[in-house]
Amino acid sequence: MIRNIALLTFNDLAMALKNKTLYLVLFIPLFVFLTLELVDNNGTDVQQIKIGLIENGDYPAGLLESIETAEGAFEVFWFVSEEQGTRWLEERNGDGVLVPTKESGGSLLIVLEKASFETLVIVESIAELQRAVEDRSNWISEIRPLQDAAIQRQMLPTWILMLVLLVGFIVLPTQVAEEKEKKLLLGLLQTPIREAEWLLAKIALGTILIAIAALLLHLLMTFDSEPGGRLSYLVFLLAGGFCFSAFGIFVGFLCRTQASARTLGVLFYLPHLLPSALADFSEKLSSVAPLIPSYQFYQPVRSILLDGGEVADFPLQLLALVGVGLLASFLSWWLMKRRWLM
Amino acid sequence: MQLEVHDLSKIYKGNRGLLATGFTIQQGELIALVGHNGAGKSTLLKILGGWLIPDSGEVRVDGIDLKNRRALVRKIGFVPETPNLFDLFSVEYNLILFARLFKIPVARIEATLTEFNLIPFRRSKVQVLSKGLKQRVSIGRSLLADPPLMLFDEPTSGLDFDMTKEIYLLLERLHASGKTILFTSHRPEEIKALATRIMVLHQGSLVFDGSPAEYFESHIHQNLYS
Repeated sequence: MIRNIALLTFNDLAMALKNKTLYLVLFIPLFVFLTLELVDNNGTDVQQIKIGLIENGDYPAGLLESIETAEGAFEVFWFVSEEQGTRWLEERNGDGVLVPTKESGGSLLIVLEKASFETLVIVESIAELQRAVEDRSNWISEIRPLQDAAIQRQMLPTWILMLVLLVGFIVLPTQVAEEKEKKLLLGLLQTPIREAEWLLAKIALGTILIAIAALLLHLLMTFDSEPGGRLSYLVFLLAGGFCFSAFGIFVGFLCRTQASARTLGVLFYLPHLLPSALADFSEKLSSVAPLIPSYQFYQPVRSILLDGGEVADFPLQLLALVGVGLLASFLSWWLMKRRWLM
Repeated sequence: MQLEVHDLSKIYKGNRGLLATGFTIQQGELIALVGHNGAGKSTLLKILGGWLIPDSGEVRVDGIDLKNRRALVRKIGFVPETPNLFDLFSVEYNLILFARLFKIPVARIEATLTEFNLIPFRRSKVQVLSKGLKQRVSIGRSLLADPPLMLFDEPTSGLDFDMTKEIYLLLERLHASGKTILFTSHRPEEIKALATRIMVLHQGSLVFDGSPAEYFESHIHQNLYS
């Protein structure tokens, strides 16, 4: 059985190379990388800094007065604790939180990203206020980022989701429909292979293509992560690869021709990509997105890559991905047994 | 080898297809399946070749049921009208892939390439070959597992005179080697020259089953080609 699966997977990979599908999977990470390199070089237009302050905080003399006086440059938000302020920042409601520190007599500036345009504007603006009141103490003694990543890293989960869905809903349905349209699958079924072997080979193809694309994206962007995080990430990448490869094969079985597979693939691709990728920016979307299988992949991957999450934190999401994959595999097998639209 | 077909049917929309058909084929017969377009010839062959699932009925080859596909593929070789080859790959690759899936020694591929005069084209991509050459590869591939029963769906359709003659000789050679052959055809001269038995399908029903002599004298032949 293993031999047949390996043989069919090799055949599928060779087909992906011959019909240029492999190039699509290789070039997309490259385009993503180049685009993000350009995006990162652009400036950001900060009109007014949204700064969080802690109520009853022991700030350096003159700091509070200066910030409150500079109304045009700062919009001040008050919090009862550092945790509340950090949560406000994590939800991307503000640009930074100033927390008083007893040790240095100055303030700790908490920001989303240390090396960002917003952080630079906050530091420069506060330094300007400090110069104006001629205070020589350290108003900002330390800067702590909540996420030590640039825009490339923030966007990484979205690109990974996009690649997984691209292979699942665009590449695989087309390849399955091509094999049906050209009667290649019927030809293979004239050999002693099992239907399940053909299905497993196709799932292996999808997972390998996803792994190649993800690996290339990581190599180009040179991200580092903890070994535990890497393992969790790999587990979800494999689970997502299995789920969406199986789903894509099922979509391919619903079509008679490659043209219809491409159309149906896009109809599945966009509703899976957009709500999940945009859920962070909209409350309405974040309530709808969990109903979609892609969010069960996106949410854990995002947490693992950006917030140090682990596979143990997302057992239900893992089960959901495996469950959807198994259901789609069964339906494909059932349609294959019935020679559906072949 | 014995093929038994009982009450086999496959109905498409508009009551077309194959209606409760039954017959038996013995070892060494060379049978022509004749009928108008839409009479059910290809449907019958596709069911026997495992391409279609019948609505009802029973098919057995040497006692093996049609549902046992993995065992039956070693008993039946099916050559479709349009060769279904991996056309982005070479002739040799197409044969190697199927030989490996059948677990047949690679030496058999050399024999097939030689037998079907495909040695000069072994490294050629299938997509650049003529239809006749593709048909040769397709037949060679279906014979890799040496099945006792061969099904040909309009084997000479779209072929020129020389290639058609070559296919006739091939069918005769396979028949002489003891294989049982069932082929569909629209060409009376083809049927006359090759067949040892003729079956006629009309609107999904088997309306004639007999020798070529009986067939050409019958009103069925007159009606079919008048």
